[in-house]
Amino acid sequence: MTEHNADVVIIGGGIMGCAAAYYIAKRGASVLVLEKEDSIGSGGSSRNGGGVRQSGRDPRELPIAMHGIQHIWPTLAAELDVDVEYCQKGNLRLGKTAAQLKILESLTQKAVSCGLDVRMISGDEAREINPYLSREVMGASWCPTDGHANPLLATLGFYRKARQLGARFISGETVTAIEKIRGRACRVRGAQGVYAGGTIILAAGLGSRPLAWTVGLDVPLQPLLLETLVTEAVDTMFPQMLGTAAADFYGHQSVHHGSFVFGVTSGYEPYARPGLPRSSAGAAAAACRSILTYFPALEHIKIIRSWAGWIDDCADHVPVLSFTDEVPGLILACGFSGHGFGISPAVGRLLSEMALDGRPALDLSALRQSRFAAK
Amino acid sequence: MLQDRTKNTGGFSPAPDDGLIICRCEEITKGEIRRAIQDGLLTLTELRRFLRAGMGLCQGQTCGRLVKSILARELGVPPAALEPVVSRAPVRPVEMQVLARDQEIDHD
Amino acid sequence: MQRCDLIVIGAGPAGLSAAVEAARQGMRVTVYDENARPGGQLFKQIHKFFGSREHKAKIRGIRIGEELLQEASAAGVQVELDAVVTGIFADKEVTVRQGERMLRRKADTLIIATGASENMTSFENWTLPGVIGAGAAQTMMNLHGVRPGEKILMLGSGNVGLVVGFQLLQAGCQVVAVADALPGIGGYGVHAAKLARCGVPFYTAHTIVRAEGVERVTGAVIGAIDQNWHIVPDSEKHFDVDTICLAVGLSPMSRLCGLAGCVMEDNPQKAGLVPVVDALGETSVPGIFAAGDVSGIEEASSAMIEGRIAGLAAAHRMGFMASSALDARLAELTGALASLRAGMFAPGSKGKVFTHTAEGCALSASLLRRGFVADEEIDRYPGVTRARGVHPVLECTQNIPCNPCADACPRQCITVGADGGTITALPVFDAARGCTGCGLCVAACSGQAIFLVDEEAGEITLPYEFLPLPQKGEQGMALGRDGQPVCPAEVVAVRTSAAFDKTNLLTIRVPAEYAGRARFYRKER
Repeated sequence: MTEHNADVVIIGGGIMGCAAAYYIAKRGASVLVLEKEDSIGSGGSSRNGGGVRQSGRDPRELPIAMHGIQHIWPTLAAELDVDVEYCQKGNLRLGKTAAQLKILESLTQKAVSCGLDVRMISGDEAREINPYLSREVMGASWCPTDGHANPLLATLGFYRKARQLGARFISGETVTAIEKIRGRACRVRGAQGVYAGGTIILAAGLGSRPLAWTVGLDVPLQPLLLETLVTEAVDTMFPQMLGTAAADFYGHQSVHHGSFVFGVTSGYEPYARPGLPRSSAGAAAAACRSILTYFPALEHIKIIRSWAGWIDDCADHVPVLSFTDEVPGLILACGFSGHGFGISPAVGRLLSEMALDGRPALDLSALRQSRFAAK
Repeated sequence: MLQDRTKNTGGFSPAPDDGLIICRCEEITKGEIRRAIQDGLLTLTELRRFLRAGMGLCQGQTCGRLVKSILARELGVPPAALEPVVSRAPVRPVEMQVLARDQEIDHD
Repeated sequence: MQRCDLIVIGAGPAGLSAAVEAARQGMRVTVYDENARPGGQLFKQIHKFFGSREHKAKIRGIRIGEELLQEASAAGVQVELDAVVTGIFADKEVTVRQGERMLRRKADTLIIATGASENMTSFENWTLPGVIGAGAAQTMMNLHGVRPGEKILMLGSGNVGLVVGFQLLQAGCQVVAVADALPGIGGYGVHAAKLARCGVPFYTAHTIVRAEGVERVTGAVIGAIDQNWHIVPDSEKHFDVDTICLAVGLSPMSRLCGLAGCVMEDNPQKAGLVPVVDALGETSVPGIFAAGDVSGIEEASSAMIEGRIAGLAAAHRMGFMASSALDARLAELTGALASLRAGMFAPGSKGKVFTHTAEGCALSASLLRRGFVADEEIDRYPGVTRARGVHPVLECTQNIPCNPCADACPRQCITVGADGGTITALPVFDAARGCTGCGLCVAACSGQAIFLVDEEAGEITLPYEFLPLPQKGEQGMALGRDGQPVCPAEVVAVRTSAAFDKTNLLTIRVPAEYAGRARFYRKER
């Protein structure tokens, strides 16, 4: 078997792997990315609603989200030379009942205590921000610095730029094991080659769990089916990112293009059948029913495509971004639990710092793998 | 299929027919497709994700074959050797209000 | 949720055939079709089909469609129209858009028979109005009674291009040329010959360079191409046309198969991405079948047999039919399918270059390049004979699965593949049996390649499917196989009969020395 070498070997060519590869290559180190699918970005990176949010996040990952939105997202398109369709026009999380407003208030309070500019607004205030909202909406949380972008373009934009900077990408290669030599993880065995690296980053989504086992680590991840819908392109209607307290849908209208992208929730996600991810017959319909109660004006817009994919839902729904004491040389970057896209540029940069400097610029101690010790 | 993407496919060189519209729904030209391929987007799926070619109202029914032949030619492989794109529902566009109406009582 | 024994997607030749067979075995069958009327492409097919009599040869597609609908109705098949199947999900659940609502339906078995879509090709200005698919042109003419244009360039010489080209002539359009990038005509020679003798020129090894026009097509430019597909300098030809018809192939419309989770293959012999199926049409998903063009582009005649096989297999799978009964039906149907898949145009022959027929006759180079058999080539074929008195001249020069001529002759003068031979053999005429000149063979030949000739009298009887019909006694011009004037001619008889099924028999008289060359008639201008 041919042996390949790089300063950093990344397992997983999703947005985390591509972003990390970009920041590593930008600093002049050699980096090799292994992707098991034929196409880059085939996991959760192409199956999410494109939210670039701070509101609604767990305080442990909120600093990463705020850092990305303040320092990376505004200039990302220029940096990557790709229109990632970033739009920072705020996030409306909508409530239709008193109970839902309570949920929103509690989320808002937590975020405010972390220093985020987010507040509760009335239904009428929400309708001033977004005149397409129905009368059913009683109130919302409003975070004006949130937004959305196109995950497919961002993923491939990072890939493209990393490749231009000399990052090496091998697709169609299934990694079977991470191997330790003299106590340090520094080799990756694939179905078709062996890859040696000074540091190994495991960013393989759901596939991260069995690979972590090969070096005696566990990360409590479970598969969750995400379903997404996209509509035909229509004239610009509104720029905000949307979510609901009922968690029945989320989404936005793509800037410059005009299509709506919606994340769908059927309520049966954890029970999806194993195997290739398949859209369910009823989820898209259920999502449309929900969406139209909030936005009746969308009724004539056509759904042109739906798709489904597995995401790596972590036991406590926040990611693992971590060195481990047990396996030096390995960095875990998984368990993004369906909200990794918005923080991906910041995570990519943090991973490059961990790999090249030995420590990230932000404190990630709350996201260590060791947090899963039994209570 | 294992693909080392470091390999250079030759770099983009302009051609006289680069202005041809290939994907009518999303108005993507042959030149945009060729340039993306030279930028490392090496599968039909990646071209769809990056350019939205074949991702419009007809979902590639018209241009799917054309995009495929352009990619095959740029990569120097037979079109049938390329990994096909995945089919998605709905195979015809459906208005949201119609899709929403799937729970009414059946009458035989 | 409603569940039936079988859901068939697509009410074309394959789907209806499948539904009929399954329903006759006792299955409750629902067929969904996205169109307002059933039949798929059949109701656009005003020409007579090839194949064997048992499988609807020499019957016009439109009539086959009517027969299938009657069979379906008699068998109790429920056909739902304007019903778009938008997806196939787990547990053989389909979502159907009908009107302003969605239906969700399940079945124990599914047969996907969604047919094909037309390929497009890109060239300068290909998005101008006036550039249309040949199938779309056929829909306009034959379903809606609208001429797609006045002056038309046909791009592509496969059977679709040739058949639609001829129908455009029948509709009164002018077909200025048929161009094909390949060096040889792709479809049946007999279809090309019909166009050529009407004077339509063929440009093989030519491709379209550009459509001209601003608001819509006002012209087209074609150019010769070399082996590297580059335009040969100074070879461009301009045509004043208002319509450019694209007949550059069909692709299986197989997206529902992919959605259903079937293992797919990209198979150039089947013209695209198709589900992998076994001999009964069953895909990798147990209980889901595919039949017709969706599993590989072929003729409608094969699609109908594939449909029948899939319908029976579904019935057998769900216990509606004993294995012995299935085997008995399959023996006959697979034999018929094999015979349709034989010959020079079989799916398995794609890409092969033939130089001779199975009988050892050299193929006509002129037919392949220009669309007509040259006068000096025609005598080499077994059906082209001279005899005293009236007798058929069978200008059938390629191995095509077709034998209605043999069935049509009441005196068995014509044989196709004698003694258990194949139906792709070239027809042979036996003068000893005594031709009566009844003309049934002329009308039966789906390729319009049979002529009754009386060399001494200088009389030729030819199939004629244009209106208005010439009148007896009318003087005009006899045209050669190449569509060029040969000599003056007089119409001496015009025969129509129910048995001829709308193919009129025109008898013209020419000076005896032209009897071997005159093959068409044009009223003198």
